[in-house]
Amino acid sequence: MTDGTIREMKDAFSTSTVYRSEDVPLRCIPPPDELEDTLHGLMKLNGLIIRSLEEIAGRGANAVTYRAGRKYGHEVAKYFRKIENVEEALKELSYILHGQYTIEIWKPADKDRYIIEENGSTFIYLVFHDCIVRQTLRRNGQPQGGPLCLTLFGYVVGAIEEITGKKAKLEIVHTGPNACLKKLILQ
Amino acid sequence: MYRYRVVSVIEIRVDENACNGCGLCVKDCPMQVYELRDSVSVPVRAASCMGCLSCHEICPAQALEHRGVYPSRRHYIDIRVCEMLNRVI
Repeated sequence: MTDGTIREMKDAFSTSTVYRSEDVPLRCIPPPDELEDTLHGLMKLNGLIIRSLEEIAGRGANAVTYRAGRKYGHEVAKYFRKIENVEEALKELSYILHGQYTIEIWKPADKDRYIIEENGSTFIYLVFHDCIVRQTLRRNGQPQGGPLCLTLFGYVVGAIEEITGKKAKLEIVHTGPNACLKKLILQ
Repeated sequence: MYRYRVVSVIEIRVDENACNGCGLCVKDCPMQVYELRDSVSVPVRAASCMGCLSCHEICPAQALEHRGVYPSRRHYIDIRVCEMLNRVI
Protein backbone atom coordinates (compact mmCIF):
# COMPACT_ATOMS: atom_id res chain seq x y z
CA MET A 1 0.00 0.00 0.00
CA THR A 2 1.43 3.36 -0.98
CA ASP A 3 1.72 6.36 1.33
CA GLY A 4 -0.74 8.19 -0.91
CA THR A 5 -3.43 5.53 -0.40
CA ILE A 6 -2.98 5.58 3.38
CA ARG A 7 -3.14 9.39 3.45
CA GLU A 8 -6.28 9.31 1.30
CA MET A 9 -7.95 6.88 3.72
CA LYS A 10 -6.89 8.92 6.73
CA ASP A 11 -8.30 12.07 5.12
CA ALA A 12 -11.62 10.34 4.46
CA PHE A 13 -12.07 9.56 8.14
CA SER A 14 -10.68 12.77 9.65
CA THR A 15 -13.26 15.35 10.67
CA SER A 16 -13.40 18.27 13.05
CA THR A 17 -16.51 16.87 14.79
CA VAL A 18 -16.48 17.04 18.58
CA TYR A 19 -18.28 14.03 20.03
CA ARG A 20 -19.22 14.12 23.72
CA SER A 21 -20.35 11.13 25.71
CA GLU A 22 -23.74 12.73 26.29
CA ASP A 23 -24.30 13.11 22.53
CA VAL A 24 -26.82 10.34 22.05
CA PRO A 25 -27.96 10.06 18.42
CA LEU A 26 -31.69 10.70 18.20
CA ARG A 27 -32.22 9.61 14.63
CA CYS A 28 -30.68 7.27 12.05
CA ILE A 29 -27.61 8.57 10.31
CA PRO A 30 -27.86 8.67 7.32
CA PRO A 31 -31.65 9.14 6.98
CA PRO A 32 -33.59 5.92 6.23
CA ASP A 33 -34.02 6.68 2.54
CA GLU A 34 -30.24 6.63 2.13
CA LEU A 35 -29.88 3.23 3.81
CA GLU A 36 -30.57 1.13 0.73
CA ASP A 37 -26.95 0.02 0.40
CA THR A 38 -26.90 -0.95 4.08
CA LEU A 39 -30.07 -2.98 3.64
CA HIS A 40 -28.55 -4.80 0.68
CA GLY A 41 -25.42 -5.45 2.71
CA LEU A 42 -27.53 -6.92 5.52
CA MET A 43 -29.46 -9.12 3.11
CA LYS A 44 -26.22 -10.40 1.59
CA LEU A 45 -24.79 -11.10 5.04
CA ASN A 46 -27.91 -13.01 6.12
CA GLY A 47 -27.77 -15.06 2.93
CA LEU A 48 -24.11 -15.79 3.54
CA ILE A 49 -24.76 -16.96 7.11
CA ILE A 50 -27.52 -19.30 5.98
CA ARG A 51 -25.43 -20.65 3.10
CA SER A 52 -22.52 -21.32 5.46
CA LEU A 53 -24.83 -23.05 7.93
CA GLU A 54 -26.23 -25.25 5.17
CA GLU A 55 -22.71 -26.17 4.13
CA ILE A 56 -21.72 -27.12 7.66
CA ALA A 57 -24.90 -28.70 8.96
CA GLY A 58 -26.39 -29.99 5.68
CA ARG A 59 -30.04 -30.94 6.04
CA GLY A 60 -29.76 -30.47 9.78
CA ALA A 61 -29.65 -26.70 9.18
CA ASN A 62 -33.45 -26.62 8.94
CA ALA A 63 -33.87 -28.22 12.36
CA VAL A 64 -31.26 -25.92 13.90
CA THR A 65 -32.83 -22.71 12.61
CA TYR A 66 -36.39 -23.84 13.38
CA ARG A 67 -35.43 -24.64 16.95
CA ALA A 68 -33.54 -21.37 17.34
CA GLY A 69 -36.46 -19.38 15.92
CA ARG A 70 -38.96 -21.17 18.16
CA LYS A 71 -36.89 -20.50 21.24
CA TYR A 72 -36.56 -16.85 20.30
CA GLY A 73 -40.32 -16.64 19.67
CA HIS A 74 -40.99 -18.04 23.13
CA GLU A 75 -38.52 -15.64 24.73
CA VAL A 76 -39.87 -12.55 22.99
CA ALA A 77 -43.55 -13.40 23.49
CA LYS A 78 -43.09 -13.86 27.23
CA TYR A 79 -43.67 -10.13 27.53
CA PHE A 80 -46.77 -10.09 25.31
CA ARG A 81 -50.35 -10.11 26.54
CA LYS A 82 -51.63 -13.67 26.99
CA ILE A 83 -54.61 -14.45 24.76
CA GLU A 84 -56.32 -17.82 24.46
CA ASN A 85 -58.05 -17.07 21.17
CA VAL A 86 -55.70 -18.01 18.31
CA GLU A 87 -57.12 -15.49 15.86
CA GLU A 88 -56.67 -12.70 18.41
CA ALA A 89 -53.15 -13.93 19.13
CA LEU A 90 -52.30 -13.79 15.43
CA LYS A 91 -53.70 -10.26 15.28
CA GLU A 92 -51.46 -9.25 18.19
CA LEU A 93 -48.42 -10.87 16.60
CA SER A 94 -49.14 -9.24 13.26
CA TYR A 95 -49.33 -5.86 14.99
CA ILE A 96 -45.98 -6.44 16.71
CA LEU A 97 -44.28 -7.59 13.51
CA HIS A 98 -45.69 -4.78 11.41
CA GLY A 99 -43.11 -3.30 9.11
CA GLN A 100 -41.19 -6.56 8.82
CA TYR A 101 -43.90 -9.09 8.02
CA THR A 102 -47.55 -8.67 7.17
CA ILE A 103 -49.74 -11.67 7.84
CA GLU A 104 -53.27 -12.29 6.62
CA ILE A 105 -55.57 -14.99 7.93
CA TRP A 106 -56.85 -16.61 4.79
CA LYS A 107 -59.31 -19.25 3.63
CA PRO A 108 -60.00 -20.87 0.27
CA ALA A 109 -63.27 -19.79 -1.36
CA ASP A 110 -64.98 -23.14 -0.65
CA LYS A 111 -64.46 -22.91 3.15
CA ASP A 112 -66.89 -21.12 5.44
CA ARG A 113 -64.62 -20.60 8.42
CA TYR A 114 -61.03 -19.49 8.93
CA ILE A 115 -60.39 -22.24 11.47
CA ILE A 116 -60.57 -25.34 9.31
CA GLU A 117 -61.08 -28.86 10.60
CA GLU A 118 -60.00 -31.58 8.20
CA ASN A 119 -58.95 -35.21 8.70
CA GLY A 120 -58.86 -34.83 12.46
CA SER A 121 -56.59 -31.76 12.50
CA THR A 122 -57.44 -28.13 13.09
CA PHE A 123 -55.58 -25.46 11.19
CA ILE A 124 -55.58 -21.88 9.94
CA TYR A 125 -54.15 -20.76 6.63
CA LEU A 126 -51.83 -17.78 6.83
CA VAL A 127 -50.67 -15.71 3.89
CA PHE A 128 -47.37 -13.93 4.47
CA HIS A 129 -47.34 -10.85 2.27
CA ASP A 130 -44.44 -8.51 3.13
CA CYS A 131 -41.55 -10.63 4.35
CA ILE A 132 -37.93 -9.65 4.74
CA VAL A 133 -36.91 -13.32 4.61
CA ARG A 134 -38.41 -13.72 1.13
CA GLN A 135 -36.79 -10.49 0.03
CA THR A 136 -33.42 -11.61 1.35
CA LEU A 137 -33.59 -15.01 -0.33
CA ARG A 138 -34.69 -13.61 -3.65
CA ARG A 139 -32.08 -10.85 -3.44
CA ASN A 140 -29.39 -13.52 -3.08
CA GLY A 141 -30.86 -16.03 -5.54
CA GLN A 142 -31.44 -18.62 -2.82
CA PRO A 143 -34.42 -20.99 -2.79
CA GLN A 144 -37.39 -20.25 -0.54
CA GLY A 145 -38.51 -22.67 2.17
CA GLY A 146 -34.99 -23.32 3.50
CA PRO A 147 -33.36 -22.62 6.88
CA LEU A 148 -33.97 -18.86 6.85
CA CYS A 149 -37.71 -19.42 6.26
CA LEU A 150 -37.70 -21.95 9.07
CA THR A 151 -36.24 -19.42 11.47
CA LEU A 152 -39.28 -17.25 10.86
CA PHE A 153 -41.61 -20.28 11.14
CA GLY A 154 -40.06 -21.21 14.44
CA TYR A 155 -40.42 -17.65 15.63
CA VAL A 156 -44.13 -17.50 14.72
CA VAL A 157 -44.81 -20.93 16.26
CA GLY A 158 -42.92 -20.05 19.45
CA ALA A 159 -44.71 -16.73 19.80
CA ILE A 160 -48.17 -18.24 19.16
CA GLU A 161 -47.47 -21.04 21.65
CA GLU A 162 -46.37 -18.53 24.25
CA ILE A 163 -49.29 -16.16 23.69
CA THR A 164 -52.01 -18.82 23.61
CA GLY A 165 -50.47 -21.47 25.86
CA LYS A 166 -51.34 -24.06 23.19
CA LYS A 167 -49.05 -26.26 21.11
CA ALA A 168 -48.81 -25.34 17.43
CA LYS A 169 -47.02 -26.38 14.26
CA LEU A 170 -46.44 -24.53 11.03
CA GLU A 171 -46.24 -26.03 7.56
CA ILE A 172 -45.19 -24.44 4.29
CA VAL A 173 -47.90 -25.02 1.74
CA HIS A 174 -46.56 -22.83 -1.04
CA THR A 175 -43.92 -20.18 -1.61
CA GLY A 176 -44.24 -17.49 -4.23
CA PRO A 177 -42.55 -14.26 -5.31
CA ASN A 178 -45.33 -12.07 -3.89
CA ALA A 179 -46.78 -14.10 -1.01
CA CYS A 180 -46.38 -17.43 0.77
CA LEU A 181 -49.10 -19.73 2.08
CA LYS A 182 -48.55 -21.42 5.44
CA LYS A 183 -50.71 -23.67 7.56
CA LEU A 184 -50.78 -23.10 11.31
CA ILE A 185 -51.75 -26.47 12.78
CA LEU A 186 -53.25 -26.27 16.24
CA GLN A 187 -52.69 -29.19 18.58
CA MET B 1 -51.13 -4.85 8.70
CA TYR B 2 -53.72 -7.49 9.48
CA ARG B 3 -56.69 -7.96 7.20
CA TYR B 4 -59.61 -10.33 6.95
CA ARG B 5 -60.49 -10.89 3.36
CA VAL B 6 -64.17 -11.78 3.30
CA VAL B 7 -64.60 -11.69 -0.45
CA SER B 8 -61.68 -12.18 -2.81
CA VAL B 9 -61.18 -9.18 -5.04
CA ILE B 10 -58.52 -10.73 -7.22
CA GLU B 11 -59.39 -10.89 -10.87
CA ILE B 12 -57.30 -13.05 -13.20
CA ARG B 13 -57.10 -12.61 -16.94
CA VAL B 14 -55.38 -15.00 -19.33
CA ASP B 15 -54.32 -13.80 -22.75
CA GLU B 16 -55.70 -16.65 -24.84
CA ASN B 17 -53.55 -15.71 -27.82
CA ALA B 18 -50.38 -15.79 -25.74
CA CYS B 19 -51.12 -18.90 -23.62
CA ASN B 20 -49.40 -21.95 -25.12
CA GLY B 21 -51.25 -24.43 -22.92
CA CYS B 22 -48.12 -25.74 -21.21
CA GLY B 23 -50.11 -26.26 -17.99
CA LEU B 24 -47.33 -25.05 -15.67
CA CYS B 25 -49.71 -22.69 -13.85
CA VAL B 26 -52.18 -25.57 -13.38
CA LYS B 27 -49.48 -27.72 -11.80
CA ASP B 28 -47.94 -24.96 -9.70
CA CYS B 29 -51.02 -23.39 -8.11
CA PRO B 30 -51.66 -24.86 -4.65
CA MET B 31 -55.29 -23.74 -4.73
CA GLN B 32 -56.13 -25.27 -8.15
CA VAL B 33 -57.15 -21.89 -9.51
CA TYR B 34 -56.43 -22.89 -13.12
CA GLU B 35 -57.68 -25.64 -15.40
CA LEU B 36 -56.65 -26.45 -18.94
CA ARG B 37 -59.55 -26.23 -21.37
CA ASP B 38 -58.93 -26.68 -25.11
CA SER B 39 -55.21 -26.21 -24.49
CA VAL B 40 -55.71 -22.84 -22.83
CA SER B 41 -55.38 -22.10 -19.11
CA VAL B 42 -58.64 -20.91 -17.58
CA PRO B 43 -58.85 -19.39 -14.07
CA VAL B 44 -61.82 -21.41 -12.83
CA ARG B 45 -61.37 -20.67 -9.13
CA ALA B 46 -60.06 -17.10 -9.07
CA ALA B 47 -61.77 -16.56 -5.70
CA SER B 48 -59.29 -19.01 -4.16
CA CYS B 49 -56.26 -17.05 -5.39
CA MET B 50 -54.11 -15.69 -2.56
CA GLY B 51 -51.92 -13.58 -4.82
CA CYS B 52 -48.58 -15.38 -4.47
CA LEU B 53 -47.93 -14.73 -8.20
CA SER B 54 -46.00 -17.98 -8.69
CA CYS B 55 -47.96 -18.46 -11.88
CA HIS B 56 -46.63 -15.14 -13.18
CA GLU B 57 -43.11 -16.24 -12.53
CA ILE B 58 -43.56 -19.65 -14.08
CA CYS B 59 -45.58 -18.68 -17.18
CA PRO B 60 -43.22 -18.82 -20.18
CA ALA B 61 -45.64 -16.82 -22.35
CA GLN B 62 -46.33 -14.11 -19.76
CA ALA B 63 -50.00 -14.56 -20.55
CA LEU B 64 -51.37 -13.80 -17.08
CA GLU B 65 -52.68 -10.65 -15.51
CA HIS B 66 -53.84 -10.29 -11.90
CA ARG B 67 -55.90 -7.36 -10.71
CA GLY B 68 -56.49 -6.49 -7.08
CA VAL B 69 -53.37 -8.23 -5.75
CA TYR B 70 -51.62 -6.79 -2.71
CA PRO B 71 -48.07 -6.10 -3.95
CA SER B 72 -45.53 -7.03 -1.30
CA ARG B 73 -42.62 -4.71 -0.57
CA ARG B 74 -39.68 -5.29 -2.89
CA HIS B 75 -36.16 -4.86 -1.56
CA TYR B 76 -34.28 -7.24 -3.79
CA ILE B 77 -33.82 -5.10 -6.83
CA ASP B 78 -30.15 -4.75 -7.63
CA ILE B 79 -29.45 -1.03 -7.41
CA ARG B 80 -26.44 -1.11 -9.74
CA VAL B 81 -28.23 -3.15 -12.41
CA CYS B 82 -31.19 -0.74 -12.24
CA GLU B 83 -28.85 2.24 -12.59
CA MET B 84 -27.25 0.62 -15.62
CA LEU B 85 -30.63 -0.19 -17.15
CA ASN B 86 -31.82 3.35 -16.60
CA ARG B 87 -28.76 4.65 -18.37
CA VAL B 88 -29.30 2.30 -21.31
CA ILE B 89 -33.06 2.84 -21.56
